[in-house]
Amino acid sequence: MQWVLNAIIRYKNFLLFLFLFTLGLAFSSSQSAYHKSRLSKSSLFISGIIHQPFDNLKNYMDLVNQNALLSKENNTLKNLVLEKFNKAEILALEEENLAGPNYWSIPAKIIRNSFTQARNIILIDKGEKDGIIQEMGVIGPQGIVGIVNQTSNGYASVLSILNQDIKINAKFKGSNVFGSLYWTGKAPNEMELADVSVINSVQVGDTLVTGGMSSYFPEGIVIGTVKTVERPNNGGYYSINVGLINNMTDLNYVYVIGNKNREEIIELLERTP
Amino acid sequence: MIQYYSRFFTLTFLLILFQVLVFDNVDLFGFSDPAIYLVILITYRLTLDQFGFIFLGFATGFLLDLLTHTAGAHTIACLSIAFMRPLISRFALGANYDQPNAMFTGTLWTNRMLYLFIMIIIHQFIFTLVAYFSLAHFGVIFKQTLTNTFISFILIAAILNLLQPRR
Repeated sequence: MQWVLNAIIRYKNFLLFLFLFTLGLAFSSSQSAYHKSRLSKSSLFISGIIHQPFDNLKNYMDLVNQNALLSKENNTLKNLVLEKFNKAEILALEEENLAGPNYWSIPAKIIRNSFTQARNIILIDKGEKDGIIQEMGVIGPQGIVGIVNQTSNGYASVLSILNQDIKINAKFKGSNVFGSLYWTGKAPNEMELADVSVINSVQVGDTLVTGGMSSYFPEGIVIGTVKTVERPNNGGYYSINVGLINNMTDLNYVYVIGNKNREEIIELLERTP
Repeated sequence: MIQYYSRFFTLTFLLILFQVLVFDNVDLFGFSDPAIYLVILITYRLTLDQFGFIFLGFATGFLLDLLTHTAGAHTIACLSIAFMRPLISRFALGANYDQPNAMFTGTLWTNRMLYLFIMIIIHQFIFTLVAYFSLAHFGVIFKQTLTNTFISFILIAAILNLLQPRR
């Protein structure tokens, strides 16, 4: 027994290292949803409080640029409305509004944005009290941004599309050719589109939009354009590199998208064998 | 000793605050964030208990993981260099590696720089490896490790120069 105690005392540093290393790994790849959620919520709360004042100051310094961006976005939206008027679609629009839209949006401000890691996370200043729940889609002024991951009372963390753990359903604008969009970690303005069969025609410059096959995003939100297409010699699927339209490194305001039919869709998918 | 610890923990608090609020937002070349908080693990007195130092490495990394949402990468990287530090200091600092303040006095300038470089590059390599957790991204891991090491080295050397006790 004595020699066991002696060995423990002698190698105490190594044993402590092993123990803490295992804890670190467990923390890193925790499979327990409860602990994962509790830790994420606590860290979200603390980092939200810490980043908020610093972000307020940064935003104040950047007001001129933000005004210009908002004015540009307003202009685009105004043009869209005018286009609807010009096409005499106002009646159809009113009918649609009476029926109630399937999607609604909640504006939020980004208080922390990371894009240099393999799994990037964005923090926003809206949380459960504002109606944000897990798995809501998040879009920016020019395209998709991510999916809500965790929520606390006043803040939410968003899995950025620059996160190697998520795949986005996307399709080519004007056709029904679908694929899965994912980030490879190479650059914050590039993603890869997988699962597009070579029987379809794909050209450089083609526009990609959201596919609408998930409950996160409505169909037709612009994502980016095709930068390069490679046709494999013996495979059945293209290797497509996509340039994002949204500048993920310069985001300040986003919209969290709620889907009225989300629970119905999820319930139906769960019931489907 | 109380004076040393109070100064050390004030420095630790300030460095973590600067790391999270400023240096994690630097994004040099679009992906590089210098790790200045390593000053904590580099300057902690070499003669103090290694057992406590391993705890310090773990706590520093864990706190940064919670604040920056890096899911264990800081924890594992800091813990690993805390454990390896006696080996690195013995290898890099030469005959006087056991001086309490070897990073500032009693050792050659070249030895200190070698110690600094090895500590940073090992930390950055482990950090990036855990963050990506895939050997398929070895090219990106290699590039990020070298760039982050280079920038962190310059900044940490400058901070150490400021912390150098004046005669």
